Amino acid sequence: MTHTTNSRRAGLRRGGIELRHLLGNAKEVTGHLTNVAVALLVAAYLGDDVPGTQTPMTHLVLAGFAAYLLFQVGLINLPQILVTEREEGTLLRLRATPGGITAYLIAKCLLVVVLAVGTLALLLTAGALLVDGPLPHGPGDWLTLLWVTALGLLAVVPLGAAIGAVLPNPREALALIMLPTMGLLLTSGAVFPITALPVPVQQVASFFPLKWMAQGLRSALLPDSAQTAEPAGSWELPMVVLVLTTWAVLGFLLAVPLLRRAARRESGSRLTARQRKAAQSGAPVA
Amino acid sequence: MTAPGRTEVLPVIRVRDLAMAYGDVDVLRGVELDVHRGEVFALLGPNGAGKTTTVEILEGFRKRSGGEVSVLGTDPERAGEAWRARIGLVLQSWRDHRRWRVVELLTHFADYYPDPRDPAELLSLVGLTEQAGHQVDRLSGGQRRRLDVALGIIGRPELLFLDEPTTGFDPQARHEFHVLVERLARDEGVTVLLTTHDLAEAERLADRIAMLVGGRIRACGTPAELARRAAAQAEVRWTSDDGTPRRERTAAPSQLVWELHRHAAGPIADLEVRRPTLEDTYLHMVHRPADGEGGGDGAEGMDTDARHDVGQQVPAT
Repeated sequence: MTHTTNSRRAGLRRGGIELRHLLGNAKEVTGHLTNVAVALLVAAYLGDDVPGTQTPMTHLVLAGFAAYLLFQVGLINLPQILVTEREEGTLLRLRATPGGITAYLIAKCLLVVVLAVGTLALLLTAGALLVDGPLPHGPGDWLTLLWVTALGLLAVVPLGAAIGAVLPNPREALALIMLPTMGLLLTSGAVFPITALPVPVQQVASFFPLKWMAQGLRSALLPDSAQTAEPAGSWELPMVVLVLTTWAVLGFLLAVPLLRRAARRESGSRLTARQRKAAQSGAPVA
Repeated sequence: MTAPGRTEVLPVIRVRDLAMAYGDVDVLRGVELDVHRGEVFALLGPNGAGKTTTVEILEGFRKRSGGEVSVLGTDPERAGEAWRARIGLVLQSWRDHRRWRVVELLTHFADYYPDPRDPAELLSLVGLTEQAGHQVDRLSGGQRRRLDVALGIIGRPELLFLDEPTTGFDPQARHEFHVLVERLARDEGVTVLLTTHDLAEAERLADRIAMLVGGRIRACGTPAELARRAAAQAEVRWTSDDGTPRRERTAAPSQLVWELHRHAAGPIADLEVRRPTLEDTYLHMVHRPADGEGGGDGAEGMDTDARHDVGQQVPAT
């Protein structure tokens, strides 16, 4: 159908334009660069090896931050974008446009993937150049990096979309997402070996995708000798696949009906009501 | 064009016995509407009367509780993307795409439609050529709404919904907006459904007006018909010989003026004939009890007299 073709093409163009706007926005670019800079500073500050291995802590931390960057794009950046665009009426505008919602989703996928892969590549490149950070060795490791990244994004992006579809407004949204995300960053073994944490904490963290994304990326970036520092003494790649796939399926099952509901609920009067509420709570309305 | 010939015979919007209830609360009851091709139709009513609900049902954004609705020959609840392409929307609450440049946004939205307007021509139609390169964020309120109109008509819709389009406009911006809407309706044959609080705007733009009060259509007709309906009596004002301001209500103003002249020695000071206005009808409808089923037209004269009495106490100038 022509509408489908139109909306796919419009979606790709839209993604390109949104990306250009993002790169042209000093505040957002600074935000993403700060994440990378913080990771590099922390990594550079650590001099020791991972206990029981000859792998520098720097490598473990950079692999962990790499996982966290993907996690953050899916579960913080994406929901924020969705909530903001719901409130401004972007979603309603596209709902009122033939093929608009399809194009919107295509554009958002494109934006999120480019953003995630871009920051990941920046972190690894800058890490390798500036702080002697890790890079994959050989085609097998590159392949692992690729599929862990892809599966990791699949695990968090639909979930982030589902969260963005239900959160009330941009101001509350950030507070609601930030705390659990930071909690997971500290308990998932991303920035220090997870074995340093009490076992119950490890068990809770292993329900969530971040631990497995970090572990998968370590398997791609760290030498196999570093496996001894893992809780199971191995990379547990099958478990990485299992947990991330489960989250991906769960995310899709939640995201599709929730996004559909969010789009269906958009109307002029709801938009007005939300904006009035935002104005009352003292939010900047431009 | 995308308009199939068959819709020529049907009204563009046809509503029969439309009902909407949220829980136990009836928001709309027995609403009937026919909007014809090329017509500018205004829906008036106080806040909470059900205007927004009605329009959102017609736009396909809300499910109704009962009744029949056909918009461009299709039930909006079951309409698809091809139907969407034939409809344009201008909402007052849109603040989207703030980072986009004006021309970039128009060019992008042209991508969704099979036969879009040329963005450059559209910019000149809505008077935004100079702002083409501006970021949407930097437009004034009036410019932003004209951009919304441009986005609303970029796909050459047959039907355009305008939701309180001139709220917050200065008189100049309002005038320019009215000229634009008139041009769309007259020159391009776009059917327009306008909701507004501004009676002067409705009177100026609309071919026909429906007044929605308490979830029902209370009156429907041309602005002149509606004005006559509530207040059949015109008001004649003058200053009498002793300098007292006078005003009188009459169904035959010309007769009264003739009488005045016959009894006067010379010209009548401050003579003024005020025809009934749409506002008279509006206030009359709004203040009528909401459930007045058989109220009919009988009550109208009474209400007008009451207004007349109140008016007498105010010193006329």
